[in-house]
Amino acid sequence: MSDTLLEVENLAKHYPIRQGVIRAKQIGLVRAVDGVSFTVKRGETLALVGESGCGKSTTARLVLRLIEPSTGRVGFEGTDITQLSGAALKAFRRRAQIVFQDPYASLNPRLTVGQTIVEPMEVHEIGDAASRKARVEELLQLVGLAPYHAQRYAHEFSGGQRQRIGIARALSVGPDLVVCDEPVSALDVSIQAQVVNLLRDLQQRLGLSYLFIAHDLAVVKHVADRIAVMYLGRIVEIAEKRALFENPRHPYTRALLAAIPHPDPSRRGRVQPLGGDLPSPLNPPSGCRFHTRCPYAQQICKEKDPPLADGVACHFAGQLPPAGLDFSGGLTEKAAQRMALYAAAAETRPG
Amino acid sequence: MSAAAIPAMDKAPRRPTVLRMLMRDTGGAISLFVVILILLLALFAPWLSPRDPYETDLLAIMQPPDGQYWLGTDGQGRDILARMLYGLQVTLFMGLASLVVGGTIGALVGFLAAFYRRVDGLLMRLMDIMLSFPAILFGLALAAIFGPGLTSVIIALSIATVPLMARIVRSSALVVMGLDYIEAARATGMSDTRLILRHLAPNCLSAIFVFSTLRLGQVILLGSALSFLGLGAQPPVAELGAMAAQGRSFLFIAPHISVIPSVGIFVIVLAFNLLGDALRDALDPRLRI
Repeated sequence: MSDTLLEVENLAKHYPIRQGVIRAKQIGLVRAVDGVSFTVKRGETLALVGESGCGKSTTARLVLRLIEPSTGRVGFEGTDITQLSGAALKAFRRRAQIVFQDPYASLNPRLTVGQTIVEPMEVHEIGDAASRKARVEELLQLVGLAPYHAQRYAHEFSGGQRQRIGIARALSVGPDLVVCDEPVSALDVSIQAQVVNLLRDLQQRLGLSYLFIAHDLAVVKHVADRIAVMYLGRIVEIAEKRALFENPRHPYTRALLAAIPHPDPSRRGRVQPLGGDLPSPLNPPSGCRFHTRCPYAQQICKEKDPPLADGVACHFAGQLPPAGLDFSGGLTEKAAQRMALYAAAAETRPG
Repeated sequence: MSAAAIPAMDKAPRRPTVLRMLMRDTGGAISLFVVILILLLALFAPWLSPRDPYETDLLAIMQPPDGQYWLGTDGQGRDILARMLYGLQVTLFMGLASLVVGGTIGALVGFLAAFYRRVDGLLMRLMDIMLSFPAILFGLALAAIFGPGLTSVIIALSIATVPLMARIVRSSALVVMGLDYIEAARATGMSDTRLILRHLAPNCLSAIFVFSTLRLGQVILLGSALSFLGLGAQPPVAELGAMAAQGRSFLFIAPHISVIPSVGIFVIVLAFNLLGDALRDALDPRLRI
């Protein structure tokens, strides 16, 4: 058995813009995701980073087939899930689950926590009523809540607790892949640390694979094995975490890393922050999509679209001046802070 | 922090029932009492009524309320109390039946339009077409087909309620459809029916309740208007709206003939409105502590 769980090839989602009432004419095409390829290995965390509107969340939903792709293939253990339907699709749903960004919108306010967590098991007809109840209690304990919480409603919990409930719901059917769509960006930093560490614990214990979507690079550095950087519907760089942080090869990755606040001003990098806004995916720039904001852009960048080769999509990868960034100091410090917070929180946690 | 700081709770917290929540709210308690009273009065009209509602006493027409006729008599000398009790039956049945039938169909159309966006345009344009005919016109058309009577009125009022309910349900369902828990429900692979019944519909309840209670008042008044035009309840059948209309020519000599049925309608509508509001709050787990 190969150790590749998820294999995404050339995945794209285009939203046509139509105008006219009777005979709708297509007047444009929003390329939300435009030809993305990556793989996720068993037990691995692949982080997808990029600024707002670059297609991260769309990619997440495409991978789970919550929306239909325009083109491309999503292989899950070798099966193309974009072709599935009926029972086969339902079987896939059992193996891939999602954790959402907004803990306040992701739980049905009319259901108790127990009903929320048990529902996926009911849908997939796992066990009987008694074993499901036992499983709910087990899951609640697994995510750091108490069994008696099952009778409560979602509004009685804090954001971090709700996120734990969302995680318990995702885990109730025993998935292999969990897509985390910015699971901690709506939480306080102290709570973020708890949830991130919980996700890591669970990964080690249950052998989960994560597709982890985030825009906070400090969190990503903490959880990811590999990182894919997205820009305007494309992956511009994909690399092992260490390699990416130590030697970012794409100018956009460098700019992203340079944007991480550093506590010591003298150790900030020499890379200038990016100017301008993300161009519209309705009319993406010609050639390399990043050329409008790239400090190293040359004529060829406006004309030719660089392919993703050897993990980076840039005409001048390898020829750029050294970034001169020092991320390790600040980040390790930040991560250490978070770990300390988590340790403190773990001590006060009941049970 | 020690373990003592965390209360040892193995049992579910005791939650008040929906009924208890209703009784906690003064408006809810009163309106529940009044609604039950109205329903009982209508149900037991034959036993409670002091005399036959159709019996005329031409020696005592337009009598103001007194010891013999508690609510007085109308233009034909019929006992208004008896007619009120029987009229309550007809009016309530007409209002509730058309609301339930029209509201259910309308809600179904609204949910389908919001959930299956492919049929949204088609369904909503159909609703627009229905919306463009006034309820009175439906009543006229149905009276021409089936003959005037209560059945025609109920069908007409149901048809008039469908597009309104569909629009309101669709718009609130669209809001809920955009929330993450719907997407989470989809990701579990549950059937569309289950998703709509368990996740979509319960979260649209407040809009449905508010609209239903408002609509009940409108429907009763529309039914009265149809009766007034001679398309609804046929004389001598008692119906509150028709009774109010019949008294209009004596408004200055014997105002009670119109005023008493109107007050009856007012009380019904008010009680159902308040009950609807209280019920909406009582059913919301976020407010149930």
